[in-house]
Amino acid sequence: MKRGKLSAKIVITLVVVWLLIPLAATIVYSLFEDWTGIVPHGFTLANYKAIFTNPQFLTAMYQTVLICIIPILITIAVVLLALFVVTVYFPRLEKYVQILCMIPYTIQGVILSVSILILYARNKSFLSGRMVMLIGAYCIIILPHIYNGIRNAMRAINMKMLLEAAEMLGESKISAFFKVIVPNIITGITVSSLLAVGLLFGDYVIIRNLSSSNVTNMQVFLYQTMKRSSTESSAVFVVIMLVTFAITAVVLTMQSRSTMEKIRNEGK
Amino acid sequence: MAYIRFEQINKKFGTNHVLKDIDLTVEKGQLVTLLGPSGCGKSTLLRCLAGLEQVTSGHIFLDGEEITEVVPRQRGIGMVFQQYSLFPNMNVRENVAYGLKLKKLPKKEIEEKVEHMLGVVGLSDKIGHYPSQLSGGQQQRVALARAMVTAPKVLLLDEPLSAIDALLRKQLQIEIRRIQQQLGITTIFVTHDQDEAMVMSDMIHLFHDGRIEQSGTPEQIYTQPATKFAATFIGNYNLPACADFNEAFGTALPYQDLAIRPEIVRLSKDLAADREGLHTAEGIVTGHISHGSLIRYEVTIGKLHLNADVVFGKHISFTEGDKVVVSVPAELIVGL
Repeated sequence: MKRGKLSAKIVITLVVVWLLIPLAATIVYSLFEDWTGIVPHGFTLANYKAIFTNPQFLTAMYQTVLICIIPILITIAVVLLALFVVTVYFPRLEKYVQILCMIPYTIQGVILSVSILILYARNKSFLSGRMVMLIGAYCIIILPHIYNGIRNAMRAINMKMLLEAAEMLGESKISAFFKVIVPNIITGITVSSLLAVGLLFGDYVIIRNLSSSNVTNMQVFLYQTMKRSSTESSAVFVVIMLVTFAITAVVLTMQSRSTMEKIRNEGK
Repeated sequence: MAYIRFEQINKKFGTNHVLKDIDLTVEKGQLVTLLGPSGCGKSTLLRCLAGLEQVTSGHIFLDGEEITEVVPRQRGIGMVFQQYSLFPNMNVRENVAYGLKLKKLPKKEIEEKVEHMLGVVGLSDKIGHYPSQLSGGQQQRVALARAMVTAPKVLLLDEPLSAIDALLRKQLQIEIRRIQQQLGITTIFVTHDQDEAMVMSDMIHLFHDGRIEQSGTPEQIYTQPATKFAATFIGNYNLPACADFNEAFGTALPYQDLAIRPEIVRLSKDLAADREGLHTAEGIVTGHISHGSLIRYEVTIGKLHLNADVVFGKHISFTEGDKVVVSVPAELIVGL
């Protein structure tokens, strides 16, 4: 038994080390002037100073966060409402909704962005706006992930019965959905949102095709920096990683804090 | 005038005709049980009363008003479900207060009512607990408190004890009955367990294949089953063909079949001196099964096989192959 536990620990440690090596190497590379030999030399924070004093970096960071949050919020709202209607009123349609939501898995970024451009670029309505097209494309890309996360969370609770119980207590269906069901699937929503953040933070193809130079995200900024300096681009990469970790940590902390609050209230 | 009235209720799911011309009334303050096997339509009728299912045809009246088309939240009906239906993200206090908050009652009044109702179901000490921290029985008691705290016109209980273990189930049967009588709340209880129905009900409606097979008090249903199905479902009746019984006991009863409760069949070693009102015959014991407080003997009299329940005293009185005198009180035999 003990031997089994030890070998499991060794395997996990090796995997973690294996995964952290590239990240550690990038961090080291970004902190030195030169790393052409075995040992890097010339410790410096100049790369970080350069990117944080670059206004383009801050704009890219701001725009990345913005074009991440808006599509995620829109997609969550759409999926929640769709699943509410399907579960309560048209359960037979669920398989069709599922098929629709899974289609984006098969569409590649280049094809999606070019198709959107062909369809909407010459449209004279608000749909031809670069930002609108970009947010629309992102909604499509993250749709299957958000849908799967929310649907699985809903399956873990007996949604129909909880809705009926709330209804019998005097609640309307839609109100019961947001007051009773949504708080119980918040973990599923959080996890799928974090997955979506990861996907959108890493996008380069769609934003290049759809927004041209109007909107810059971190990946575009990274590419531009790579052409200028490899050490500085490593610093950009490290910052992207830290921001992603920070977003994940904030969301998870908020979630665990609300759980802890519940446990604390238990005795009252 | 009946407090609840179902008139010619029909309910179809596609081609499946689940409820067939149901006419049923419930008096105020009664605990009425809808009893029957799975798929007989009892839960569907309950859900129609709750408004969670729409009837295909017919009318439902509550307290003199037709509610057939009224949405569930406006019917003033409380319900406890078969599965645990507490809101997992809310503690016991929040669960029980949920319906009161929707009624926009003052905060202090809500607090008082919640605490009182939790006292009634004996869970005052669990007020801050979450459903995941409660046992199945405790969860159902909270669900009961949540359903009753809003003082509904009717309380519906859809097999609320079916997921609970046997011992606790028996305690809760008595507890629910006590609370129902204490509050005088009109209650409709759905179950497939005839013992549960006997313990809890003022009135039982036995369902079979979408129809009411028989209605009556628990004693009437138990002692006077109207059909073979009722006799089979409600107890462990012997259901011999009347011709076989006549042949075995030398009687001339004019029925197709008979229903004979096993506890009225008496076994003895010798013929009793006083045999007035008894049909007697000589039989052979072919087996016995222990049911705890009872021993069920299997007796054969020619072509006739009967079960006889005898209170378990000190030891088994008869063994296989023993010759016994079988006596059946004539007035307790039910002709079908």
